[in-house]
This record gives sequence, C-alpha cells and structure tokens, in this order.
Amino acid sequence: MTSAFIFGLLIALMLTGMPISIALGLTVLTFLYTMTQVPIEAVALKLFTGIENFEIMAIPFFILAGNFLTHGGVARRMIAFATSMVGHWYGGLGLAGVVACALFAAISGSSPATVVAIGAIILPAMVQQGFPKRFGAGVIATSGALGILIPPSIVMVIYSVATGGSIAIDPEGKRVLSASVGQLFMAGVVPGLILASMLGMTTFYRAWKNDYPRMPRATWAERITAFRRSVWGLLLIVIVLGGIYSGIFTPTEAAAMSAVYAFVIAVFVYRDMTLKDVPRVLLGSANMSAMILYIVTNAVLFSFLMTSEQIPQAMTNWITSSGLTWIEFLLFVNILLLVAGNVMEPTSIVLITAPILFPVAVRLGIHPVHLGILMTVNMEVGLCHPPVGLNLYVASGISRMGITELTIAVLPWLGTMLIFLILVTYIPEMSLWLPRLLGML
Amino acid sequence: MLNILDRLEEVLIASLMAAATLLIFVAVLHRYGTGVSFLYPYLIQIHLSWAQELCIYMFVWMAKFGAAYGVRTGIHVGVDVLVNQLSPTPRRYVVLFSLFCGALFTAVVGTMGLKFVLELAATDQVSADLEMPRWIVFSCVPAGSYLMCFRFLQVAWTFWKTGELPHHDESRVEGIDIEPPPQKAAR
Repeated sequence: MTSAFIFGLLIALMLTGMPISIALGLTVLTFLYTMTQVPIEAVALKLFTGIENFEIMAIPFFILAGNFLTHGGVARRMIAFATSMVGHWYGGLGLAGVVACALFAAISGSSPATVVAIGAIILPAMVQQGFPKRFGAGVIATSGALGILIPPSIVMVIYSVATGGSIAIDPEGKRVLSASVGQLFMAGVVPGLILASMLGMTTFYRAWKNDYPRMPRATWAERITAFRRSVWGLLLIVIVLGGIYSGIFTPTEAAAMSAVYAFVIAVFVYRDMTLKDVPRVLLGSANMSAMILYIVTNAVLFSFLMTSEQIPQAMTNWITSSGLTWIEFLLFVNILLLVAGNVMEPTSIVLITAPILFPVAVRLGIHPVHLGILMTVNMEVGLCHPPVGLNLYVASGISRMGITELTIAVLPWLGTMLIFLILVTYIPEMSLWLPRLLGML
Repeated sequence: MLNILDRLEEVLIASLMAAATLLIFVAVLHRYGTGVSFLYPYLIQIHLSWAQELCIYMFVWMAKFGAAYGVRTGIHVGVDVLVNQLSPTPRRYVVLFSLFCGALFTAVVGTMGLKFVLELAATDQVSADLEMPRWIVFSCVPAGSYLMCFRFLQVAWTFWKTGELPHHDESRVEGIDIEPPPQKAAR
C-alpha cells in the first residue's frame, strides 16, 4: 500500500515533466508530512550528509576530464587512427566509425556528444564515398552508446554508490557487499570489447553483402603516425584502469588525475583549446556535475525513505516467496530498464532502481558486479531504442533524417545490441571473468 | 544587479571545480613525493590529511550553487515525452505547475536547512579534519536552495511572459561545425 502510494506519486509527478530530482524530493516531502513517523530532523540531516562521500566525488572529476577531451580535434584523431587500422576491410568508413565511436565515447563519457562529434565528421565522408545515409546514421547512432560500458563510466560509479549502503543477503544467508568502482570498471572491459566487435561484425556483414566501398589499405608508417596522434587521448583509459588496478590511486583520485591529465593534453599537447577556453569547460562541467549531484542528493532521501518503510525487504520477501527464478527476474529487470531507459536519463534510473533491485538480485544469487554490468548495458540500449532514445534524436539532428527513417536505419545494430543484452544477462562469466582473473573479486 | 549575481554564481562554481581538482592532484603528488628520499624531509612537514574533507565540502558547495545555475541553463531535465504531446495551452499550465513545484520544494528545503543551520550555530560542533564550524559548512544548503527557488520563479516568469524555457543542448561539441539546416526546423 505505502509502496504503491510512493511510486504512484513519483511517477505522476515525473510525467508532468518536472526535473526528476524535484519529483523525487517532493515525493519524499509529501510522504513525510502526511503518512509517517520518521522524524523530519533525520531527513534534514540526510540533505546535508547525503553526498558527503568521497566515492561520489569521482563523478565531477570524470565529467571534467571528459569535457576537456570532447572536442572535434580529438574526434578527428580517433577517426584517422580507426580508419588506418580497419578502413580497408569490408565496411570501410562504417567499421572505422564503430571503432572511433568506442574510443571517443570511452574518453568523453557522453553518448550524445560522441554521436555528434564522430557523426558530424564521418557521415558526410561516408555519403561522399557512396554509402547510403541510412547505413552511416545507423552505425553512429548505436555505436555512440558504447561509452557507458567502456571505463571510465559514470553510470558504474553511480551504481556503486547507489547500492553501497544496501543490506543484501545471499541465498546462503551471508551479507553481500556491493561492487566497488574498480571491480565494475574492470568488469566492463570484456563486454565493451565484445559489443564493439559485434557491432563491427554487423557492419562488416551488411557492407560485404551490399558491396559498399572500402578504403585503400594504409601503410604501417601511416598507422604508426595515426596511432601516435591519438595515443595521448587513449592513455586516459590506461591511467584510470591501471591506476586503480595497481592500487596507485583510489577511483576518485584516478578521476582527479585524469582530469588534470586531460587538461594538459587538450591545452598543451593537442592545442585544441587555449587557456582562455578553460573557464568555459570548467563551468560546463560544474553545471553537469551539479545536476547529477542534485539528483544523487534527492535520490539518497528517496532511498532513505524506502529503507525506513522497509520496501526493499518486502519486495525481496515477496519475490522469493513467489518462487521466481533468477532467469525470470532478470528478464523482468531488462524489460523494466529498457522502458525506463527510453524516457529518462541513465543516472536517475540507476539511482532509483538499483537500491530496490540489488537486494532482490543478491537473494536470488546474482553477483553484484553482474547486475551492475547488466544495468549499464540496459542504459546503453535504452539510449538508441526507438521511439524516444536520446541518441536517435541527436543522430536525427546531424543526419537530417526523420525519427521514423532512423528507426529503420538502426534496426540491424539495435538487434545486435539486444542479442548482446541477452548474452550479458545470462552469461555472468562474461562480466566476471576479467576481474576474477585479476584477483579483484 | 542580477548580472552581478549571475556572474558571481558562475565564477564561484567554476573556481570550486578547478580548486578541488588541483587539491586532489597535489594531495596525490604529495603522498608519492614523501616516498622519495630527498624530498621526504620537506614534504613530511606538510600535512594534507584534510584534503579529502575539503574536496568533499568544495563539491557540496559546487553542487548546491551549481544546481541553482542549472535551473537557469535548463540542465535539470525530466520526462517530457507526454508534456510535449499536449496542445500549447494545457502544456503551458503543466510547465508552470512543474516550475512552481520546483520553487516549492527548494523553498521548503531551504527553510528546513536554515532552521538546522541556526540550531547548529548555537552549538560549537566542528568538522572532523578541518575543524571548521559545521554550520558554516552546511550554510550552503539554505543559501543554495533559496537561490534555486529564486531561479525557478525567474524561469517561470520568463516562461509566462515569452513562452520560452531555457534549454540545455547536450549535443554541442567544440570544434565541430554543423551547417545550419536548409530551412528552420519546426518546433
């Protein structure tokens, strides 16, 4: 009853189009003033201490690092490198687009920005070479979403934070702690590579069948030059993953180091921007981080309310008593997240759903890292899923194609992503193998 | 007057962002610097154990004032799929309703925060590492929330007058020129 009220009110408020953070906050306030004995003071304290957590502070740093390198110059270098490596295969520039998207998205951390940066450069080139526009737009709209899965990933930090305080009991009755940021980053590597290769294979197959143009094979000298130009950006991933894995940095420190590194590369090595541009990048990053942190604050209030009303426990008991298996449960999770992923942005979805799904999943014997990767992949698919995935709109802007036409254009790659989602859902080892091999689990 | 407030807001959050980044960068360098034998005698005298706490407070301040700035730039997005299907007149009222909800929420939070800070100011609680009075640290909650409330009302007023909402363009990338569409896209 109470949970029906809470979620009903939340959804009703959200549908008016108000910011999700405000909808969360108003739900909590309404509930507090009308239906519960939880002292207001306890909630007020949460307002202050909700984001006093050093782990969360990785988010602004990663956003800053990404914004320094989200620049057309970096996109051009990634495209040049990708083209020199795979451009001579079937799929040519299309295949290069997939690789360039994967590299650029990992560094910039923003899917829409990746679609714009890579798409605006590579689409006209593809059309000029004789590719149908549809083909190019489909490749870029879907590949642009790769960034969420390849570390550093903000969604993974959010998942780790959102489930950090949850009390979860596994089938044997032992308490299970949530996944750390480092474990999730490492776990994202293998699925990220597999998804990129699968999207590449779809591109390759369709280009081979329709005999689309290929690029001349690049010489090794050209490849090495292109690599040397793009390597500075790519090193960012190495710094973050290597630094966390070797224990040199905590994830938040790694994020701060990568922000400083990105600044040096953008201003002094690539010279894409001058020192005069830095305040603008700082302001833009602060704006984006503050928005996310504001949702986090209100989501903390919301999950505090849910915990004090014992909603996650009630749901766990209900699901275990209904005899649902983990296979059915994960199917339900996928559908829920895909629907939500279409209309909301990833951060909010993970913040609201993870604290509820996590204890249930653990009780059914699902590994916290596996659930985290699965949720991340869902966010990715949601971004390019018709009718209202954000990437489609962005791609429609740069390709000047209607949403309906684009929906048809992305179908082959979207199908590939859905197959990949099923693989990730039902083969936990895909996510768990690398962190386990490295002794992180 | 308003321009000064706008500018102040921007300078504050951008500098907090830069300062926090440099702070953690220096703290990490310091930690590894003390491992180098010839630097050790100099660096060991500097204590940076408070860096983490200061970084958190800087970001909390940045988050509160940045959230107010975000209302002005339209970065706080919601689920607008349904609202955008409405015809102009009902849409106008729904948008105004949601803006007033924003103002209401931030006003309540600001007042709650103000009461809390006033109570804290009467005590002499200090923070763990910096030993700064806690009420100073927390005063960003009422200040930021009231500012945010003001911003919501400001946006609502502009919307009422001109029918325009601030819109954050997520797909803008520096160094990429997209030629404008042949004819103006219909909204």
